Amino acid sequence: MKRMDPRLRSTLRDFSRGFAAKREACFQGLDFERLREDLARMKDQAIVRNAELLDRFEARAQRHGSRVLRARDGAEANRLILDVLKEHGVRKIVKGKSMVSEETRLNEFLVRNGVEPMETDLGEWIIQLGAEPPTHMVMPAIHLSRKDVAGIFAGHLGREVADEIPALVRIARDEVRKAVFGAEAGLTGANALIAENGSIMLVTNEGNGRLVTTIPGLHIVFATIEKVVPTTGDALRVLEVLTKNATGQPISSYVSFIAGPHRGRQYIILLDNHRSELAADPVFRGILRCIKCSACLNVCPVYELVGGGEYSYIYMGGIGSLLTAWIHGLEHSKEIAGLCLGCHRCEAVCSAKIPIADLIVRLKTRLNEETGSELWKRIAFNGMMARPGIHRAAFAAGRAARPLISRGKGYARKLPPWMGKYDRFRDLPAPAERPLSRLFKDWTASPAAVPQGTPKGRVIIFPGCLIEHFYPRVGLAASRVLSKLGYEVELGPSACCGFPPANSGFPAAARRAFRGIVEKTGNGGWVLTLCPTCTTMLKRAGPELLGTEEASRLAGRTTAFAQFLAANEKEALSRLFKKRRDAGPWTYHDSCHSKHLLGASRDSRDLLRMALDREISEMDSSDVCCGFAGAFSVEHPEISAALTGGKISAVKKTGAGLVATDCPGCLLQIGGGCHRQGLDVAVRHTAEIIGERL
Amino acid sequence: MVSRDLFEKFVANALSAGAEVREVPAGENVAVHLAGILGKEGILRLSVSEDARPLLRDPAGDFVFLPVQEPADFETSQAGIVRADYGVAETGTLVHLDLGDVEKMIWTLPPVCAALLDAGKIAGRLADLIPEISAHLEASCLPGPQVSLVTGPSRTADIECQLSIGVHGPSRLLILLYGGPAA
Repeated sequence: MKRMDPRLRSTLRDFSRGFAAKREACFQGLDFERLREDLARMKDQAIVRNAELLDRFEARAQRHGSRVLRARDGAEANRLILDVLKEHGVRKIVKGKSMVSEETRLNEFLVRNGVEPMETDLGEWIIQLGAEPPTHMVMPAIHLSRKDVAGIFAGHLGREVADEIPALVRIARDEVRKAVFGAEAGLTGANALIAENGSIMLVTNEGNGRLVTTIPGLHIVFATIEKVVPTTGDALRVLEVLTKNATGQPISSYVSFIAGPHRGRQYIILLDNHRSELAADPVFRGILRCIKCSACLNVCPVYELVGGGEYSYIYMGGIGSLLTAWIHGLEHSKEIAGLCLGCHRCEAVCSAKIPIADLIVRLKTRLNEETGSELWKRIAFNGMMARPGIHRAAFAAGRAARPLISRGKGYARKLPPWMGKYDRFRDLPAPAERPLSRLFKDWTASPAAVPQGTPKGRVIIFPGCLIEHFYPRVGLAASRVLSKLGYEVELGPSACCGFPPANSGFPAAARRAFRGIVEKTGNGGWVLTLCPTCTTMLKRAGPELLGTEEASRLAGRTTAFAQFLAANEKEALSRLFKKRRDAGPWTYHDSCHSKHLLGASRDSRDLLRMALDREISEMDSSDVCCGFAGAFSVEHPEISAALTGGKISAVKKTGAGLVATDCPGCLLQIGGGCHRQGLDVAVRHTAEIIGERL
Repeated sequence: MVSRDLFEKFVANALSAGAEVREVPAGENVAVHLAGILGKEGILRLSVSEDARPLLRDPAGDFVFLPVQEPADFETSQAGIVRADYGVAETGTLVHLDLGDVEKMIWTLPPVCAALLDAGKIAGRLADLIPEISAHLEASCLPGPQVSLVTGPSRTADIECQLSIGVHGPSRLLILLYGGPAA
């Protein structure tokens, strides 16, 4: 499959937009947070009780006439299934959708051993006939057009086939029925195994599950051990979230609870495949909450660009990288884990509230420790960011080289052709002439730095590397705003907060960098951040890494600049803002960490509406990553470019002349992209816009 | 007696899932009403489940009740006539406590599925039916008890995300509600 095929991109984009609307409609009037918290709690308890629940499930299922077999790994499961088929003289088996059979590569195994498997789910059948890799967990043939499908069917049937969807569906109906009627066995997965009565829950839309479980005389259920839940009510908890989150339907067309065979025989193969080890891992066991709804894929900006063919080993996307690490081996997860932007968008929709992006960071740490890491990362993270002196010296060298690398208006000259992939789609900024720390010293000596009105106390601005070295104007603007509001402003340490190494799986370097920040940020006063990523480090990741009281105290004192103003100074600002009524159309880009981790972008939006006295011209997908994502844009410049291109197209559609955002990384990416395209669009930090309006 | 609100919610959600819903007016015979609908469309060859038969004692018209036991017996069946045990208002779902594979085939194989539902058996939410579903699945006297939830006709969006109805199951789900509340 070609990476970022334009047709695939467009299909996945349309699907993602349609899914978002349908999903929202489904959950309307329901408390999604409560539903998924209940589900997560139930799954967590079931994981802890897994052995006991499996025993109970097995006993009940056997009482109803099923035979339950357990497999330690994929090879054993495949062998058990083959033994059952041989025992019953099966040559043809029809299959319902089953991710686990893909996990064990069952089809290839059966073919090698003289059994002909046929998929009955339409999408699965299409890709089986076309020998195509699946692109989506729920809709595996989403990458194929009706023309492609007609070609595949024509090849199979040996005759012309019209490329009309109803005709193609009719062919599938006829062919699958023929196969189901002629098959000696059917195999399905299970969406839940119910311990209290030994039944399985099976969810389908097409009705193929009902055919496969009813018509052939032998039914094999192939399921993994974490699917077991205590009660029917618990299975309904899974169902309530599953269909809404998977396809945006209140419920699927067919849900079957099968406690045993009516006639014929039923075997249930329970596969472990390292899940017991995973259940014993206190950090990663939450992965087993996954109910395979694939909502995380449907909102993933990278998945939307590259599809599941590229973004998978067998399981897809971010959650797929985690499952792969345990099930298929750490080494197979490295490439897919590296495709996670860390935007945390998936976590907002995950059915079981799995902290996917956070766990991927932990996985990267294990990967670095056990399989090694790239040299450039070791130099950047261990050698530079963890050492403030070297870090400062590197930026100082960049400033010294400014006459050589700058081409005016704050932008750097183009990179040499061999590095062109990094700046073909954006103009990179040149280092500022003077860093914020020096400019701030000058500013504190000026009358503007004297707090106005009754002094309200001391605040510390934590600027972050990009503002310190590239966008000091943002730090100065924030200082002026706070001073006007009556605060005595100090500047926090200008060293790296430690987020880049932490996010790339270098916890030791991150700890070292963050410890320095904790030590240098003093003991009193609010710490106001101008970069959501630094905020995340100071409030969440850093204290988790250090685990000290000092770090926790710093977390408690830290808040994003806009959140601080919204909570404390909204009234004062509304009096101070000059009612100029001259703002043109403007739009807002929700930075990933600001929206998905801090919930801060709503405050920025409110403040900006007040400051500009004009409603936002909303852009399409304002909360999709701009493509910066730190080290990601270095590792995957082509994906970064595509994300930036999409963002700029969305900006253009609004007709806005101003893009507001809260993250200096997004300033770099969107501002650089607009500049490269020669657009007359200003890209500004919220602090700058507020400062200009006072 | 089901409340008018619950009844209407069931009807609205079943319609929105793609089912057709007809209300049998009070005092009217279910069989006659069904015959009126199917007969007009030339749907005469029917496979009828055991639990629906008591309601179809006097069908008007030229209907043929096909004897069905094996999948091949359904080849000429134009509609399956079944009886749902419960309805669920929040999703427009029919709940059937299956007694055998033949019943499941009657629900699934013919191109039209006509389901009879006593409106008095409509629950608000699926969770309200947990005791009934659990009791059926636990019934040790049955060989492999099963429960089916059916919501609208069979569907797929596997080609270009375009919705198509009737891929492997019925393309029409007709729900006949009887014993409903007075308007």
